[in-house]
Amino acid sequence: MKISFLLHNAYGIGGTITTTFNLAQALAERHEVEIVSVLRHREHPNFALDPRVALRPLVDLRHEKEHPLHRRPAKVFPTAEYRYGQYSELTDRRIGECLAATDADVVIGTRPGLNVHLALQAPEHVVRIGQEHLTLDNHPPRLRTTLRRAYRRLDVLTTVTEADAAAYRRKMRLPGVRVEALPNSVPDPVLPAADGTAKVVVAAGRLVPVKRYDLLIEAFAPVAAAHPDWQLRIYGKGEEQARLRQLIQRLGLSEHALLMGAAAPMEAEWVKGSIAACASNFEPFGMTIVEAMRCGLPVVSTDCPHGPGEIIEDGVDGRLVPVGDPDALGSALLDLVRDDERRRRMGRTAMENARRFAPAPVVQQAERLIDEARSPRGTGRALPPEGGRIQRALVSQGFAARDAAYAVASGALRTVRRGRR
Amino acid sequence: MNTKPDTTRGTHLRVDCTADADGRIVFDLPSTATDGPPSPQLLLRLRPKKGQPEKTVHVLDLEPAHDGRLLAVLEPQPALTEGRWDLYLLPEPGAPRRRLRPGLRDLRALVDGRLRDRPSPVAVRVPYVTKDGYLAVRAWLRTAHAEVEGIDVTDRSMTVRARLHGASLAEGAAVRLRLRGGDGTVRNPELRGGSDGRAFSFVVDYPDLVADDATRPGVWDVSVRTRSDGGPAPIRLGRLLDDVADRKEIFVYPTAVVGTAVVRPYYTVDNDLSVEVTRV
Repeated sequence: MKISFLLHNAYGIGGTITTTFNLAQALAERHEVEIVSVLRHREHPNFALDPRVALRPLVDLRHEKEHPLHRRPAKVFPTAEYRYGQYSELTDRRIGECLAATDADVVIGTRPGLNVHLALQAPEHVVRIGQEHLTLDNHPPRLRTTLRRAYRRLDVLTTVTEADAAAYRRKMRLPGVRVEALPNSVPDPVLPAADGTAKVVVAAGRLVPVKRYDLLIEAFAPVAAAHPDWQLRIYGKGEEQARLRQLIQRLGLSEHALLMGAAAPMEAEWVKGSIAACASNFEPFGMTIVEAMRCGLPVVSTDCPHGPGEIIEDGVDGRLVPVGDPDALGSALLDLVRDDERRRRMGRTAMENARRFAPAPVVQQAERLIDEARSPRGTGRALPPEGGRIQRALVSQGFAARDAAYAVASGALRTVRRGRR
Repeated sequence: MNTKPDTTRGTHLRVDCTADADGRIVFDLPSTATDGPPSPQLLLRLRPKKGQPEKTVHVLDLEPAHDGRLLAVLEPQPALTEGRWDLYLLPEPGAPRRRLRPGLRDLRALVDGRLRDRPSPVAVRVPYVTKDGYLAVRAWLRTAHAEVEGIDVTDRSMTVRARLHGASLAEGAAVRLRLRGGDGTVRNPELRGGSDGRAFSFVVDYPDLVADDATRPGVWDVSVRTRSDGGPAPIRLGRLLDDVADRKEIFVYPTAVVGTAVVRPYYTVDNDLSVEVTRV
């Protein structure tokens, strides 16, 4: 079987890229796998890719940035998508051609706009699997309205959490589309696990507001005051860097809270720590939480939507604390800093419990989904289950109407604002 | 931690390494890095100054390990000359060398390195990734070293806590800040020594650094003399004893405005401690 992934840009850094590489590599054990990268801006990907996985870029920004078609706005890629500005008539055309000519049995889209391409343009014989790495509730209403229409033409829609799958089932009427949670996978660590003795708390991710590294730094202040031999290391780069630096200096934490810059791969950095932390307001999944756990670190995380609560078992393999509460975050960190035995025990448990995110079980689930999606196709699309169908339809129509109203309202508002200028 | 290191593209040959607390580094290559029987080697090259010829190299044999990988061990002795050492693979005698990219760098044993007392000479090695993405080893080699253990900064002064390695404090020990260039202006803040002859601290009052000529920007290098003049050369203060090869952008201290000058302590590209004075 040939499986093709459609990815925004395989040459960047980020959770979707990592998890797509991981899944592609695991599937390559038994299948022919390729990754189609819509954009390319450098020679090699940041993350090394298994040579069995073919990588095919569609638009090379190093030569084609000034292509006349690339300066014209996209028509197929939805305007309400976050990345709309990076897409164009050129990407529309290349993606369309790529899908029309594909010899893959299964094509897997990895973000909303690409799922729309897949839904509208993939040939009839191809199994269409849309992956959502973000969450429905966080999509803007206009995007939800677009997706509500397009996603009906998918065979399978996967989310990264059960909570998000439930949201799609409840709020979108997608008859015949199988909606299921398929968590991100993290490869088996190569290095020996952390032993829980290092006096380092580690966090990793892009330095953007939603990650709330400001909250983490604030929460770490009492830890550093009580235990000056402990360090907080934050890996990543981004727009918040200067602001976080100021905060660190204002709190007198120059020796204790360190902005380490980007590190890829993170594995060798996780094992230098004995606690990991996540202060996000929002984590569609929480890839770094699983990475840290697989390296033997208990993770102290906010219980934000949707990932952390489905990964961490509070008090067993990590801690879940309320969102936006520096005192709760700080005292959960302090508890683990103070209790060597508990920290080590939770770290060992974290490593055990995170095995469910190893490639093997996740790829098994993905293969099952693919097989089940392929089998009914000879006899036409699968029928939706009957029970509660009308009720669900009514509920989802209510959400559809609300999103449409929001979309119209925000459109009108924009028109008004434009008029005022 | 996403993917296995790429081992296939010749231009992207990756090598893992593990450092231990004694300074030993084990390099670990996939066996596919070389084909066939000729004895492959690892070459470390001291990076010469721009335009200078390369003079110092260090060659290690790569031995096959149990799981078909190739290992090379850089023993603590002999110590590496201070500088940056680039890594290459010599696939076989006479074949062109190939520069190596980093795989996993397991440096966890280095993180709390300041807790171990070092004898003289103090030799430190930290494998790191160069700006252009290759693996290299940063080496320091000093008769003695004064490790900065903490700096508390206020808007008028900084208090530095440090510890000597490979030397101890004696009668007449003194801290010295020396203004780079010019006539060798120095300041000698009072040294407070600990009972073990290793730990010491001092306070630098910023107005002392700008008093002479507030409009003149400059950099003060910080060192310590272990006894009265006539003894061994001053020992530079710095921060070398952990896993951080390039500290300048990671340990960043607040600036203070003193009159018309801005003062801040910082670590140089060699991880030594200096104090910079600039105009507002």
